[in-house]
Amino acid sequence: MSDQVGNSQATNPLAWVNGSDAPEKSSLDLGFMALSDCASLVVAATQGFAQPYGLTLNLKRQSSWAGLRDKLVSGELDAAHSLYGLIYAVHLGIGGVAPTDMAVLMGLNQNGQGINLSQGLQQQGVTSPEALERKVHQSRTKLTFAQTFPTGTHAMWLYYWLASQGIHPLRDVESVVVPPPQMVAHLQAGRIDGLCVGEPWCASAVQQNQGFTLATSQAIWPDHPEKVLGCTQAFVEQYPNTARVLVMAVLEASRFIDDSIENRRSTAQLLSAGDYLDAPLDCIEPRLLGLYNDGLGNHWQDAHALRFHAGGEVNLPYLSDGMWFMTQFRRWGLLREDPDYLAVARQVQQLDIYRQAATAVGVAAWGEEMRSSQLIDGKVWDGSDPAAYARSFRLHALADDVVRHALR
Amino acid sequence: MLRILLINDTPRKVGRLKSALTEAGFEVIDESGLIIDLPARVETVRPDVILIDTESPGRDVMEQVVLVSRDQPRPIVMFTDEHDPGVMRQAIKSGVSAYIVEGIQAQRLQPILDVAMARFESDQALRAQLIARDQQLAERKRIELAKGLLMKMKDCNEEQAYTLMRRQAMSRQQKLIQVAEQIIAMSELLG
Repeated sequence: MSDQVGNSQATNPLAWVNGSDAPEKSSLDLGFMALSDCASLVVAATQGFAQPYGLTLNLKRQSSWAGLRDKLVSGELDAAHSLYGLIYAVHLGIGGVAPTDMAVLMGLNQNGQGINLSQGLQQQGVTSPEALERKVHQSRTKLTFAQTFPTGTHAMWLYYWLASQGIHPLRDVESVVVPPPQMVAHLQAGRIDGLCVGEPWCASAVQQNQGFTLATSQAIWPDHPEKVLGCTQAFVEQYPNTARVLVMAVLEASRFIDDSIENRRSTAQLLSAGDYLDAPLDCIEPRLLGLYNDGLGNHWQDAHALRFHAGGEVNLPYLSDGMWFMTQFRRWGLLREDPDYLAVARQVQQLDIYRQAATAVGVAAWGEEMRSSQLIDGKVWDGSDPAAYARSFRLHALADDVVRHALR
Repeated sequence: MLRILLINDTPRKVGRLKSALTEAGFEVIDESGLIIDLPARVETVRPDVILIDTESPGRDVMEQVVLVSRDQPRPIVMFTDEHDPGVMRQAIKSGVSAYIVEGIQAQRLQPILDVAMARFESDQALRAQLIARDQQLAERKRIELAKGLLMKMKDCNEEQAYTLMRRQAMSRQQKLIQVAEQIIAMSELLG
């Protein structure tokens, strides 16, 4: 990896003098939330994937996304399992924190989130998108939906899905923020009517007879971007070699998880431990293997279930993935003006580091910058005209003064 | 408010440091002469910083400093009349964060303490990184050893051996190093 030398020279003269591409920092604190999609970090840290690179990964479970964000920005965490939208919101200074330059090192997973409705709605026969739309527009009291962070992926999936069914997410329903592991308790207490969250918490709600899964996130966007390995730009600049070997270790762990069904089963067992998800195996394992039971009697093997690697397609930090979240911030009035979508994405998505790491561990997918997808409403997103895309939706809040409302 | 433990290793009954600290608005939570078990004292008093006032740091003082640095690491500032560079070097090596010769002035105390605390923090961080590096290397060697044993036992290749070890570790909610140790122990038993 002689092409590293030029990079390191700018930021760490010593590394260049020593001709070393060893990590500048040998022990890293990694934040994560108790969700099935943190798997690659847990596997990398506990199963000896980082040691050969001279790296020790210390896992630090966080109790809320806001707390994780604050520790990431303050430097108490070196890097973290993060929502795509969380990294971009901090970078753009949305949501009550001063803007801090942030970095997406790699994607950690695609798919595997869900929208559930409560048992109460189920008993009233609200078990289809059409029934929900009628219920929302006919009743006087607004239904309350929970997501996990105001600018996070779950808020964006919830908004996108509701809007695709003709429900305005900021006017027709109330939305509240609840940390993922507390979702089921809130359903049980009747404080919320629906939710959007990552697994295993949708499956857990179904298992505990607290409602049903109305839509999976992969039904909104098959193979959508979800969690990323995020850090500050300052971390990347100060520790470029560390960032690269961290990506290498997590890439190898991701490949290992997706390698066989036995490896996935063992991953589910590991995740269920008290230190990680602290949830029963039978809530975690089925959907980690793609086996869905929606709680309405439907069972299926999902073609776009949670995945961690797919030859690197999952992990490549596509510019178009990063830009999509900005288009949705714009659509819902979280951004009052268009940012320079492409320039911001280029700054945040660490394509160079990813390419070096992917090449070093023999992962094929690293060449593309954009990808094309068709979402649930039939629209195609390929990253080509983000400003026009953000304006192209029938339901939106482009000009509304809803920022405060949505950020509550 | 900074919690200060003051060690008065001078023949004076009330050390000159105490009055300077009081004048500068610091609160001394505990003051004593040189005691035999300083780490124990530190554990009880839980100071943020330790100040040692000594005319010339002898072997006993240095020994206590070494013990504190090992068992109850804290920033230690030494005020002394001793000019000898050899003694100063010895003190820094023992774990003193700042070595101040003569002239205790109240207005200089705050910056001296600030520097000592900052120096201490960066030393601690470096130490933690070194310990992590040593442990990594040791664990890596044990894992390699276990992998080799397993390859022989199972007649499999390197990648298969790693996969077997990892699956075993994960399904028992353990780390790879734990399974490696079990394989090594088992092999010694059957040896």
